[in-house]
Amino acid sequence: MARTICGLPQQFASQPAWLLSLLLLLGIWAATAMGAVTVTWQDWLAVLQSSDQPLSGSAYVLWHLRLPRILFAVLIGATLALSGALAQGLFRNPLADPGLLGVTSGAACAAALTIVLLASSGIDVPVALRYWLLPTTAFAGAVAVCFILDTVARWLTADSIAGLLLAGIALNALAAAVIGLCTYLATDEQLRTLSFWTLGSLAGANWTLVGALLATLMLAFWALKQLTHTMNALALGEAAAAHVGVDVRALRVRVIMLVALLSGFAVAWCGMIGFIGLVAPHIVRLLVGPDQRRLAPLAMLVGAMLLLLADTAARTVAIPAEIPVGIFTALLGAPFFLVLLARMRRGV
Amino acid sequence: MTTLPAVSELLALERVTVSLGRQSFGPFTLSIRPGEQVAILGPSGAGKSTLLKLLARELMPTSGQAHFDQRPLSDWSLADLSRRRAILPQSHEVAFGLPVELVIGLGRVARTYDSNLNSIVQQAAGQACAMHLLGRRFDTLSGGEKARVHMARVFAQLWDAEQGLLLVDEPLAALDPGLQFELMDAINTFASRRGHAILAILHDINQALQGFERLILIKHGKLVGDYQTSHVSLSLLEALYGVCLVCATTDEGELIVAPSLKRNVPA
Repeated sequence: MARTICGLPQQFASQPAWLLSLLLLLGIWAATAMGAVTVTWQDWLAVLQSSDQPLSGSAYVLWHLRLPRILFAVLIGATLALSGALAQGLFRNPLADPGLLGVTSGAACAAALTIVLLASSGIDVPVALRYWLLPTTAFAGAVAVCFILDTVARWLTADSIAGLLLAGIALNALAAAVIGLCTYLATDEQLRTLSFWTLGSLAGANWTLVGALLATLMLAFWALKQLTHTMNALALGEAAAAHVGVDVRALRVRVIMLVALLSGFAVAWCGMIGFIGLVAPHIVRLLVGPDQRRLAPLAMLVGAMLLLLADTAARTVAIPAEIPVGIFTALLGAPFFLVLLARMRRGV
Repeated sequence: MTTLPAVSELLALERVTVSLGRQSFGPFTLSIRPGEQVAILGPSGAGKSTLLKLLARELMPTSGQAHFDQRPLSDWSLADLSRRRAILPQSHEVAFGLPVELVIGLGRVARTYDSNLNSIVQQAAGQACAMHLLGRRFDTLSGGEKARVHMARVFAQLWDAEQGLLLVDEPLAALDPGLQFELMDAINTFASRRGHAILAILHDINQALQGFERLILIKHGKLVGDYQTSHVSLSLLEALYGVCLVCATTDEGELIVAPSLKRNVPA
């Protein structure tokens, strides 16, 4: 991996959080102005003033479509980046991305099974529960994959990322097969919902989802505070981490649950969006170094920015059509992954 | 052999055995007093590292009892234990290229409130001759420099403890003789000032004879000898390693032992 800090202005190295937050706010503001419908400052006024009368025209677009969509992209980006940073810390490797390891496809697989099986069993789920049903099953799928990976990682030699990624390939293939089977069995209506997972899209955004995601992310952030410093000790290896007094087994379980929660929820609400969890922590490591205490929160900011960028492109490149955002993140992320692989080979 | 741990004992094993797959080790019965300097000798694969892992609580005994400071070893929480005993590993890697001062500071990660962290990291680095490495990334260091940083991490862990235990797993085997001497000296100085006991796996017989007051001999997974260094005879060591040894005495009266390549192995 490359040098840290040197070459960057000293203020940036010491105060990256403020600068990144400022950049993100600017990005959000810029993104609200972009899209099929032109939004002006009068629409902002209308949104801020109207408390009872319904919004009309472009003000409606701003409040009910564009703003939730943008905030959703920001929050999902932060969620994906945080789960990536945690998975990399857990498996002691910068290539351990929940997407590559099969955690997200495990979650998508569980969600796809839920959609198809639920419809064919004829159970009617109340709308209020639907927001939480898919996240819950996706979370269960992600947990299952995480624990399988954790076991496989123990069978194989201690720090073998090759083994871990190969296990990820196997799990990805298995999940793809099950999703394929679901697609085969699905009705036309279910098929539309299913295709949403394989490509990844933020089009489902609304204020309820933004609120639910914000609550999840705040919960995760709170849990993170107590984990990050002891996670640094995992870099020493499991035995040495236990020697310095870290309860490694408990720590692993907590980190796995957190990774599964974050990637499971992200998958359930917006499908499989790859590479944010790989790219964002890596950028932060180049900026401020690998200390988890700074890495995790800053990766959230960078991930938020990256997905906002990708989603704004997805919305605006082919107006009035919309390109699935997963295509953009993969276009950016896959070459990045190859570069990372090449550097790893030189380094290890 | 069957007495309960006496009050003065820091660490006591009582007929401890452990099974790993088809191999079984022990029974080990031994005790370490505070401040003692003990070397573990034995051929490769004899079970030295297994014994050290038992003492470090990395492995749980299949049978028998292990006590640390009068309490069963299994009753200690990992965090409490980490404030009294530290392990210096064989050289090994640290992921992500963490900065050196963070690696040293990780020795004290189990302390939730640690106001002196920075000054302890500095002093521990100084004691381990690693002052000049602060500010560098761990993955850019040479083998000898990595050994110093791990040593500083262990020093930081037991910096403000007294009558602790330092377990050392042949950390110096791959280093040049000058550095070996310097680092062994640093360990001895650090431990003796605080009354820490040292228990070290060693491959170098001379290092054991000159720097340690007691030798524990391990062969085929069993404890075959436990002697004050002054009482160890050449024939005991020959039987332990299955080689012939020759010895010489320096001008200062120190004994130096080396394997003889010309004579046959005793039956």
